Amino acid sequence: MTADTTSASGFLPRAGFQQLIDLLAEGGRTVIGPTVADGAIVYGEVRSVADLPRGVGSEQAPGRFRLVDHADERYFAYAVGPTSWKRFVFPPTLTLAESHRDEHGHVSFGPARKEIPSLAFLGVRACEIAAMGIEDRVFLGGPYTDEDYRRRRAQALVIAVQCAEPGGTCFCTSMGTGPGIRGGHDISLVELDDGFIVTAGSEAGAAIVGRLALEETTADQVMAGADQLAAARERIGDPVVTAGLHDRLLAKLDSPHWAEIAERCLACTNCTAACPTCFCTSVSQRSDLDGHAATTERQWDFCFTKGFSAVALGGNFRPRVQDRYRQWLTHKFATWIDQFGTSGCVGCGRCITWCPVGIDVREELDRIAPPPEVIAGDGHAAEARAPRTSVFRVESVRRETHDTVTLALSTEATPDWEQSRGEFVMVSVPAVGSIPISISRRLPTGMELTVRGVGPASTILTGLEHGAEVGLSAPLGHGWPVPAAEDHDIVIVGGGMGFPPLRPVVDEILSHRGRFGDVHIYHGARTPGDLLYKEELAAWAAQGDLDVGVTVDRADATWLGRVGVVTQLFDQARWDGSKAIAFVCGPERMIQATVGTLGSHGITQDRIFISMERHMECGVGLCGHCQVGPFFVCKDGPVFSLAQLGDVFGREGI
Amino acid sequence: MPQTESSTPRTEHDAEFVALLNATWFGANLPPETQVRLAALSRRYQAPAGTTLLTEGQLANELGIVLSGRVSLRTLVPEQGWITILTVEPGDIFGQSALVPPYRSTSTVVALQPVDVLAMDGPGLRAALSADHDLAAVLYPRVLQALARRLNATRLQMLDLFAR
Repeated sequence: MTADTTSASGFLPRAGFQQLIDLLAEGGRTVIGPTVADGAIVYGEVRSVADLPRGVGSEQAPGRFRLVDHADERYFAYAVGPTSWKRFVFPPTLTLAESHRDEHGHVSFGPARKEIPSLAFLGVRACEIAAMGIEDRVFLGGPYTDEDYRRRRAQALVIAVQCAEPGGTCFCTSMGTGPGIRGGHDISLVELDDGFIVTAGSEAGAAIVGRLALEETTADQVMAGADQLAAARERIGDPVVTAGLHDRLLAKLDSPHWAEIAERCLACTNCTAACPTCFCTSVSQRSDLDGHAATTERQWDFCFTKGFSAVALGGNFRPRVQDRYRQWLTHKFATWIDQFGTSGCVGCGRCITWCPVGIDVREELDRIAPPPEVIAGDGHAAEARAPRTSVFRVESVRRETHDTVTLALSTEATPDWEQSRGEFVMVSVPAVGSIPISISRRLPTGMELTVRGVGPASTILTGLEHGAEVGLSAPLGHGWPVPAAEDHDIVIVGGGMGFPPLRPVVDEILSHRGRFGDVHIYHGARTPGDLLYKEELAAWAAQGDLDVGVTVDRADATWLGRVGVVTQLFDQARWDGSKAIAFVCGPERMIQATVGTLGSHGITQDRIFISMERHMECGVGLCGHCQVGPFFVCKDGPVFSLAQLGDVFGREGI
Repeated sequence: MPQTESSTPRTEHDAEFVALLNATWFGANLPPETQVRLAALSRRYQAPAGTTLLTEGQLANELGIVLSGRVSLRTLVPEQGWITILTVEPGDIFGQSALVPPYRSTSTVVALQPVDVLAMDGPGLRAALSADHDLAAVLYPRVLQALARRLNATRLQMLDLFAR
């Protein structure tokens, strides 16, 4: 904040407020502010003071919102309604990309062309500015950024209004976000009975404030503003004890209270829809009838929906409402801090007011964190960081089993990923969607992907032929720490479709065989017909310096190999695990059994690395689907050490 | 059967069989006197691939330890044919029905490869176990360990984890 901007200040008589609206609207800017609609205060377009809720207040309590008549002239004497500014910088539905497939089968991928509107947000509360700061962290603070959000945010003016009328569900005081305004705005307003104390907070704001017909602010007016702020603070109190809340909450993952809340919670998603910081999304494809042109559309999604954590073939990591409520509350108030350095809650009270059964988080909680810093308020352009989709061609197809193929894919553009240790790619099929698939081999000009046809996109992939084209992101996520495993013995355990992600590990070891000690490779499959890479396994076994074990869960009499679970391949083996590093991938329950057996060989948790399966949509930690405790599986994993996961591994409903 | 309490193999046969037991996880680290008792009750045989070693429902007269090769535990499902439930690998046992009434095999045991088996006489072993509680006290936990391992594995198999 410069001296010039702070000096732009004065008193705007109520009769002059239309001038502010007109100045904000200059240059085609749309002013969004509070309006009365559907019995609530809703943010919508404001063209004149007549659109504002003059003399209208709100009465709020858990599960209750009523408009009340204040019989005064004030425009901003209400507490926040069900809408938040989130919907204007992070729209509920958004076209992200377009894809095409021409009659020759060539595919192309590109961003959707869209106009970003210039907006002015009129009447932003301190808690709402804090919410914008939190969303800045989520969308702009990580390795990948949301370009659409950045542009919308940078083009919006923020006209803050000091809170003088808190609602019955507010707790910004506890969250450290309000009620006083402390930056992140272009102009701030303190509403008094006869007008507004106007102060610029940025150069853009100063340019507007400088053109207003302002009077000198009197000491009485300043005192009146300070008094009503103090009164607001007094009314809110400090209802949530935030000290130590993060640790206290995470220590209560097994509390019976989650099940009690779930008896009341309807999993209706109202709290998450009304929340100004919830950011989870899902992506769907909209196609023309012949499948040649499609758009990728993103919608808000909510961790309370049953399908939010679903994976292929009916798997679901959070089937119960109590799992989903726990995810929401522990994320908002605890693991959000681990991920973004700030709490995910600003204490605006919307989730309490708009909960149809009146669940009050203030009663469920004790603590929270300091207010977030604003990242994007300066409007400076930043380089967009998002995984780009490149077109790859199918060079060869090898059928592994009746429903699984290995595709060799290459691109003419030399990929700059040679140093990338990413574990998976997002594979895009026009008009169908994107799915995460682990790299099963790295090639000089591309990669191999082993795909099992279980859903629409993967089934199409398993049917591709030589020359077909698909879209691929650069490798994403943290892969297996093979270089760090040099000079150690290696134990590789892959069950079912958990084996393909481990194949590059074997490749890497074989290319530097002398750098590793004893190497044990164990693969379990459902039936002999489901075994993957049979010829390679045989070749590895014949090599003489690898211990290779293969087993199946069930077989007919023609199978002469081993039958039994994968752990029986090595539970009675005589090797010593004290110098070994283990890499394990497969269904989570198989990993649990394997981890126990590895432990009995003396392999400690910091030397056991596993790959977690979760529902992934964006692949870069922005859509929220794949969270496990404090981690985004796509961004922080999918490979984790057991020590890193701690007690979230194997926990029900996490 | 002489009931001598000796930990020294009396014959060349016993010494060879104690060595064979020690090479298996089932028989290793049992007390020497137990190994000598078991050796005295054992015979060793080889069988080519395809040999049926035990038949489901028939009397199980011997508790077998696989020394080398692979045997399968199979059961006949009329619409599906023979299903292999488990393979028994070197070091592990089969024919434990010889210790459990009614002493009839619960699966058909077929050699998948040429096998080398150490087989303990069922009636003789049962008589020794009921007469000698010290022997029972060390052998039964080992049998229990082998069965618990198999039970745990069967549970995981039942979950059919790789179906999705």
